Amino acid sequence: MAETANLATAPNRIAGARKGFVRKETLIALLFVLPGLALAILFKLVPLLRGIWLSFLETRGFEDPTFAGLANYRTMLSDPSVHDSFRNALIAFATLPVWIILPLVLAFLLFQKTPGWKFFRAAFFLPYMIAPIVVGIMFRQILAPDGPLNAVLRAIGLAPLAIEWLNGPTSALLALTAVALWSFFGLGVLTYLSGLSTVSEEVVEAAKLDGARFWQLLFYIIMPLLKSVIGYWAVLCTSGILIWMFPLIYALTKGGPGTATVLPEFLVFTTTFQFLDRGLGAAIGMALFVFVAIVSAFVVRRMYVEGAQKK
Amino acid sequence: MTRPAPSDRMTVSSMRIVLTRWLVTAVLVVLAVVTLYPLVFTVINSLKTRAAYSADPLGFLTDITFDNYIETFERMKVWRLLLNSIITTAGGLVLSTVAALFIAYAVTKLKMRGGNYIFLFVIAMLVIPSQVIIYPLYETILDLGFGGTYQGLILAYAAFGLPLGTYLLSAYFRAIPDELIEAARLDGAGDIRILFSILLPISTPAIAALSILNFVWMWNDLLLPLVIMGGSDKKTLMVGVALLSGQYDVSIPLISAGLIVALAPVILVYMLFQRQILSGAIAGAVR
Repeated sequence: MAETANLATAPNRIAGARKGFVRKETLIALLFVLPGLALAILFKLVPLLRGIWLSFLETRGFEDPTFAGLANYRTMLSDPSVHDSFRNALIAFATLPVWIILPLVLAFLLFQKTPGWKFFRAAFFLPYMIAPIVVGIMFRQILAPDGPLNAVLRAIGLAPLAIEWLNGPTSALLALTAVALWSFFGLGVLTYLSGLSTVSEEVVEAAKLDGARFWQLLFYIIMPLLKSVIGYWAVLCTSGILIWMFPLIYALTKGGPGTATVLPEFLVFTTTFQFLDRGLGAAIGMALFVFVAIVSAFVVRRMYVEGAQKK
Repeated sequence: MTRPAPSDRMTVSSMRIVLTRWLVTAVLVVLAVVTLYPLVFTVINSLKTRAAYSADPLGFLTDITFDNYIETFERMKVWRLLLNSIITTAGGLVLSTVAALFIAYAVTKLKMRGGNYIFLFVIAMLVIPSQVIIYPLYETILDLGFGGTYQGLILAYAAFGLPLGTYLLSAYFRAIPDELIEAARLDGAGDIRILFSILLPISTPAIAALSILNFVWMWNDLLLPLVIMGGSDKKTLMVGVALLSGQYDVSIPLISAGLIVALAPVILVYMLFQRQILSGAIAGAVR
């Protein structure tokens, strides 16, 4: 109040007062970003830097660590279980087309208001809400040698397919990926549906009147319109295969048989907490980080473009 | 007749449409069964006695018992785990949202120099998943004296939820006209009041979407509570379930009851907020 009065009587003070106001605003802004920045730095940036440092240390059990240069990285490059884990990730990536296409087809069916689409939408999304650790334990029963899956296979005359799913190297990795897909495809359906909501139904109707079949519609009309959503979902699935699987592996196979279902994120955990080789664990973590960072950088870029101040 | 009459052709094509309809519905129904069956199977198992389960593992219920639930509650100390999960999830959710609110306000509504850089820095933290820094993160939490405490897990949850919250709220605040804030400022409102009594009520949809997302992942997360809480009595429900399932004398009906207890709160949230969750506000926001 007093300041306003001063301003009125002494115009030459306006500049000074405004400067003070700006400085106060900057101070408030700094105070406001402080808690968040502290969280981000303390629990993300600092651990990352410590992880980089740790990856250069030799750590044996509970002894004091010593500097070891690139020794951990050298061990990593010659360690067969590291190779296996990244090879398993590559095999899992081979299933990505299913991760991308299946939800798209389902979303397109629901988008056309198929009878009961609301029920199907709710049902398909349900698995995503369930904790992966719970999903994993549930499917340990479903996939058991005498479990319901094999019972169904035997009942429909596919008895040779009724195998010990989690005991064969190939079938275990396949089962793990399939369970992950079960758990996440509903999110894809919803993602595509929110993309489809920007597509006008007239376009689809017009193409239908021209005699376009379902697949033609999907490939020539819908997919080009949803290019960015498909790209976004593909990025999400790729990073998902790298960082969503830990609880599923923990519950389903613990990495076995052998190293058949060890993915890099699980190897970081076991190397660190089971074999107590924290240096090597950190090195594997950094290798994984490089891949995850490259993939999620696309997401961050998109978020920045949408959320930053336009100039 | 060499050509079918037009009416016949109509019938053929309309039959095609009907057939496709049925086929589509059949495919969707099969998928819905695949989606829902594991849950139904687990519910049924949780209500069977041990004997009934070993006699017929796949059969339907003959008689219902709640003994598994009673035993789960005793053995897992479910009430304690439930309390731990509620405290840590609620704490992480609130702290993360409040921190994100402040940052979003500062970078969008206060003419802050370098605001975009701060925004970029915070959302860039998204590229660091917990899996790759789990040990150094644990070490940092230990150094702060928060090992095995609620604060430790709450702070970690808040930090990992922050990038998404900052992004969602910033994008939302951008769409709110600056004039509104100028007007409030002329009325003598301070920044805290502008943020909490003007922007906060307008942003309810964004905050609701953010809270649902944060609730789901924080409640469901395994790695952070497993490492930070370990075997302490402050471990969360998910850690309890994971540890219970590793014990060899645990019967399947018993573990099934544990699973149902663990997922019930999320199912409840799903049913209560179905409209918001399925509307697409969530799907577009998951990163």
